[in-house]
Amino acid sequence: MKKLTNLAVASAIAVVTAGAAMAEGLNVPNLTYRTGPFAATGIPLMNGQRDYMAMLNARDGGIGGVPIEFNECETGYSTEKGVECYEATKGAAIVTQPWSTGITLQVLPKTNVDQIPILAPGYGFSPMADGRVFQWAFNMPSSYWDGASMILNELGGGDLSSLSGKKIALLHLDHPYGKEPIPFFEAMAEANGFEFLPIPVGLKEMQNQSAQWLQIRRERPDYVIMWGWGAMNAGAISEAVKTRYPMDQFIGVWWSGHDADLATVGEAGTGYRSISWSAPQPDAPVMADIRKLVFDAGDSLAAEDELNSVFYQRGLVISMILAEGIKTAQENFDAAEIDASQLRWGLENINLTDERLAELGMTGMVPPFATSCANHTGHSGGWMLQWDGAQFVPASGHLMPDSETIASLEGPAAAEYAEANAPWPVNEDCEG
Amino acid sequence: MLFRTAGQFKTSYLKDQTLFPVRQDAILLGIILAFAWVIFPLTASEFTFQTLLIPVLVYSLAALGLNILTGYAGQLSLGTGAFMGVGAYACYKMITIFPEMNLLVAVLMSGLFSAFIGVLFGLPSLRIKGFYLAIATLAAQFFLVWLFEKWAWLYNYNASGAIQVPHVEMLGTPVAGPQAASMTQYYFVLVVVTLMTILAINLTRGTQGRIWKATRDMDIAAELIGINLLKSKLTAFAVSSYIVGVSGALFVFLWRGAAEPNLFDIPISFRILFIAIIGGLGSIMGNYMGAILIVALPVVLKTLPETFGIPISSATVEHLNVMVVGALIVFFLIIEPHGLARLWTLIREKFIIWPFPH
Repeated sequence: MKKLTNLAVASAIAVVTAGAAMAEGLNVPNLTYRTGPFAATGIPLMNGQRDYMAMLNARDGGIGGVPIEFNECETGYSTEKGVECYEATKGAAIVTQPWSTGITLQVLPKTNVDQIPILAPGYGFSPMADGRVFQWAFNMPSSYWDGASMILNELGGGDLSSLSGKKIALLHLDHPYGKEPIPFFEAMAEANGFEFLPIPVGLKEMQNQSAQWLQIRRERPDYVIMWGWGAMNAGAISEAVKTRYPMDQFIGVWWSGHDADLATVGEAGTGYRSISWSAPQPDAPVMADIRKLVFDAGDSLAAEDELNSVFYQRGLVISMILAEGIKTAQENFDAAEIDASQLRWGLENINLTDERLAELGMTGMVPPFATSCANHTGHSGGWMLQWDGAQFVPASGHLMPDSETIASLEGPAAAEYAEANAPWPVNEDCEG
Repeated sequence: MLFRTAGQFKTSYLKDQTLFPVRQDAILLGIILAFAWVIFPLTASEFTFQTLLIPVLVYSLAALGLNILTGYAGQLSLGTGAFMGVGAYACYKMITIFPEMNLLVAVLMSGLFSAFIGVLFGLPSLRIKGFYLAIATLAAQFFLVWLFEKWAWLYNYNASGAIQVPHVEMLGTPVAGPQAASMTQYYFVLVVVTLMTILAINLTRGTQGRIWKATRDMDIAAELIGINLLKSKLTAFAVSSYIVGVSGALFVFLWRGAAEPNLFDIPISFRILFIAIIGGLGSIMGNYMGAILIVALPVVLKTLPETFGIPISSATVEHLNVMVVGALIVFFLIIEPHGLARLWTLIREKFIIWPFPH
């Protein structure tokens, strides 16, 4: 009984102090998923994010002289735990990184009230690009609709009308994330006369997609585009190999370009492409710093063969974007310890030029982009990465999305969201 | 000593049949209610509201619904998550079609939809029993979640297929949607849960409860003494699904704020079944104890290492958490297979004769 009382008292203390844990420095939490069904894809990303911040702390003493307090809160990709982590971390944090479309959807309406920026690079809700409506949400450098547009541009060779009469299948996870590009593809199919065929993969059938691939074999689409995540990617790629679907007609979004998924089929996967807003650069100067200050110092959780993978280096880029936002805010407000609303301004005014990328030692890892109060995405395009049998290599020039078409879809979608969630504050001062 | 019942004489039948024949029980409940109604809301932080208080109440209510069906009427069901979904989607449709509607009315009415669906899927229970019935309710689980995904009207043709709770006001105060204060939401949930609990206690200890228990204990004997099994089983499905549906509406509107179809998939059904089993089948109080163990304990455990300054990574904490909670479940089920409620009953009996056991 005594023990039970002690336990109860201890837990009571824990609950009371949980929200109050203030830390010195810039509190930057990350809602990681190193456990659960998506851990295999999560771990390299999380390691990349963590190592970049650790490198900044070791090399420059943080950002603007203030150390970064990079905390992880484990969600296991579960929405419920994600919201729990959001509530637990939001008190002292200047940003929230929800790391799943489901958690983003839950947290998005709350950010206006809690006044905390969401950083969701390359995921979340595509209309978040409209910064006038989504004042606190950022998904630079590319939204899902950007990705869909870039893929179509590559397939059509820059001229979408050449896709007329073709059949394009979208193999997607049957989940908010996988459904995200459908409105864009539907609009494009109607405008350019190609046939669009969505093929959903339920969360329960991720590893067994024989029904979907039977449909693909029967329908014979000219291209299969994949919006997959976690176990679905490996499942689809091995099914494609088994059904001998031509790999050069099979293209994935950036989350479907994980080295480990392709490594299981090796040579047989040669030709598979994945659109990406980041590209691994093993020889980039930043990698030398990370190897010296973090990896060799034994401070990293990553494995040696992970360092050059697409996902690890994308994690670096994500933390770099956040660090740039913090730096921009620090310079503008002339304060080292910035708060959440100042960081929001910073993220809204990032100007990542080629020169700045070279300074950071990250040339070629992400296309240069700039954000503004109206444009929270940047829409800076990306590259096709192609699997050569052993690794992903860049296989195209710099591809750009059709920003005009996307903007014409984003505006109404954002307005619709604001209307459904009324009263929703809109930034009226922003001129676009 | 504390629980001495000596001297508490019952002089009329009415007094003998009160809810709390032992005075100390009423005092204990009074203390718990004072905590729930006054002390917790006054002291809780936003984090406590959102991750402990509200979820425990919502999950307890769902388990209470399931317990009526499984614990009292003996019909095993694996479709709880789907029935919660019916309640949630019904509430969402009502609120978006009639934005002027009172949320309390909408929440209470959404249970009617799930009660109807529950009765529909309860029909096989007239012919099949036990594990076979569990499989039949599993069909409800798969079918309804599939319907939530495919029937775009249900989520107002939202591109991502998820439902987002709109801003809802009652008496000028926001109660649902992002603007709502956690305390308002907590009191809303507490009112509904209290109402449902009173309803459930009185239903289960009255005629209807005895009919359900007879059906559970031996349906042939029950039929022989004149109990209509059709009515008994279907009312159990209706009442249970009603409560589960209400908890589903609370789950989305007063707590989560958004929901995608797969939220209502099998894992949540199992979670609620575990709460009911660990809490104690055939008990009302057990649902609350089970929910505290399954829902609140992991959250508390997760904050412990940080509080005591133990430097372990959050992924390791998560692994440890799963192990500790799993071990506790096994531990409690070994020391008392009939659940936490039964454990409390035994402790209480010990208390009554303590300190003179002979």
